[in-house]
Amino acid sequence: MSGWNLTGISAAPWEHPGAAPSAGAAAEDDPNILSVTQAVKLAGATLDELPPITVLGEVSGFRGPYGARGHCYFQIKDESSSLECIIWGGVYKASPYELKNGLKMRFTGKFEVYARTGKMSFTISRFEPVGEGLLRQQVAALAEKLRREGLMDEARKRPIPAFCTRVAVVTSLSGAVIDDVKRTLRRRNPLVELICVGSRVQGEGAEAELIEALGRAAAIEPAPDCILLVRGGGSFEDLMTFNDEALARAVAASPVPVVTGIGHEPDTSICDMVSDRRCSTPTAAAESVAPAATELAELLRTREHRLATAMASATGEAASELARASERATHAIEARLSREALALRVLAERPCLRRPDETVLRRASELEQSADRLEAAMARGQERLRSSLERLLVRFPAGESLLATPRADLARASERLVRAGRGVCDARSSELARQAASLDALSPLKVLARGYAIAYDGEGVATSAGSFAPGDALRVRFADGEVSGTVSAVAPAAASAGA
Amino acid sequence: MADTKIEDLSYKEASQELERIIRALESGDMELEQSLESYTRGVALVKSLRERLDNAEQQVKILVKDMDGSDTLVAGEAASTDDALSI
Repeated sequence: MSGWNLTGISAAPWEHPGAAPSAGAAAEDDPNILSVTQAVKLAGATLDELPPITVLGEVSGFRGPYGARGHCYFQIKDESSSLECIIWGGVYKASPYELKNGLKMRFTGKFEVYARTGKMSFTISRFEPVGEGLLRQQVAALAEKLRREGLMDEARKRPIPAFCTRVAVVTSLSGAVIDDVKRTLRRRNPLVELICVGSRVQGEGAEAELIEALGRAAAIEPAPDCILLVRGGGSFEDLMTFNDEALARAVAASPVPVVTGIGHEPDTSICDMVSDRRCSTPTAAAESVAPAATELAELLRTREHRLATAMASATGEAASELARASERATHAIEARLSREALALRVLAERPCLRRPDETVLRRASELEQSADRLEAAMARGQERLRSSLERLLVRFPAGESLLATPRADLARASERLVRAGRGVCDARSSELARQAASLDALSPLKVLARGYAIAYDGEGVATSAGSFAPGDALRVRFADGEVSGTVSAVAPAAASAGA
Repeated sequence: MADTKIEDLSYKEASQELERIIRALESGDMELEQSLESYTRGVALVKSLRERLDNAEQQVKILVKDMDGSDTLVAGEAASTDDALSI
């Protein structure tokens, strides 16, 4: 078995007899014959000498991670070979990538031999995607990063008006996409005004152009209701522009809501994830911004109907209110009238009104009775008086003579009384006249009438000039009035005082 | 809004005013005179909206950069009325 020494290892451990004591019965004297254990160990040691190698292969038969340790077992293959692989749990957990069947990746590791079975496997210490796989992994990692930042939160997404009447379209102006959008909206709803903002959508620098175009679209005055960020289908690499981090952030930060329609149905870019509404294609995006004109027409018909119904109900209500009011008024007046009618009937039922002549007749008969009684009574009274008169007439002449003497006496006495009374009054009257004359002669008023005056000081009549001092009050009475004044000087002898 | 001439309202504004009028009418809180006034306005709005819907023509503009870097809107072509698919 000289062919073993492929790796140029000259000294193998089993060449020392003491190194393989447990080799058992298989160990013969011939040092070229090895036990199985020795053979497996030799293979293991030989493979261990190899430096770590990197293999490009596609994952298949992936099993794991298993249990708490999380080891993974699978094969990697190419067109003609396959290789058993192991990734220990710790290595797999530490890796940012996940493995699944069909993924083409770069695996770095070493060959090892499992002593118990002698099977060789490739124990992987590192693995990473390549080509599109690499891109997809990077995109997934970016998506995860932005998701953690909250850029994909539903709560962050702005509502897009159900009917956008002014829409900016950011896309290439040379492709078929812009025509599709225009055509779709012309057919669906020509009321939507489109503003086209051109930008390259793939190739070097397309991201920066798209970011600028988004900014320009948002700055249009008046602002559009939304921005359509659209692109036709393409390869994964073509669509990578829309997985750019800066562009994704620009979409999320746009002041005007962004609707994306990038590629075809299964394609999902990061721009789709952070936009306010994601549609699967440009056409779907265009359709999503406005209701179809037929729907608007239907809505208009519905509203027209509602308008008419509401008005009819408003007038109907007013009319029925009127009818109710009129009914109530009628009721009220009828009730009033029937009350009055009842009252009238009650009044009419009263005997005075029902048989007005009855009272008169009763009174008439009463009167007749009274008249009869009066007549009878008068007749009886006359009869009684006549008989009394007749009795008195017999006695009358004798009574006449008895009265003659007293009547003459009375006349005489009356005459005497008049005479005596007149005498008494005459004597008293002349005496009174005489006394009044003398009283008049003595009256001080008479003296005053002759030119004298009476002076009064504060206490009464002043009889002496000495009772005054200069400054005292002085009152003088004349027959026809009084004067008052103040004493200016007093001259007790012949001089007189004056005011 | 109710005083604005209907021609001066955008389709959306006119549509929203119509809805408000209908809701107000439906609420039944209006005086009859006011109802009649609103109804008249509503009918005029319906007429205008229908005309606009029937006669709408697509408006397309293109945002172009001037020499000085500022943006200007210029009229663009509406979609062709040829219904053949472009793709």
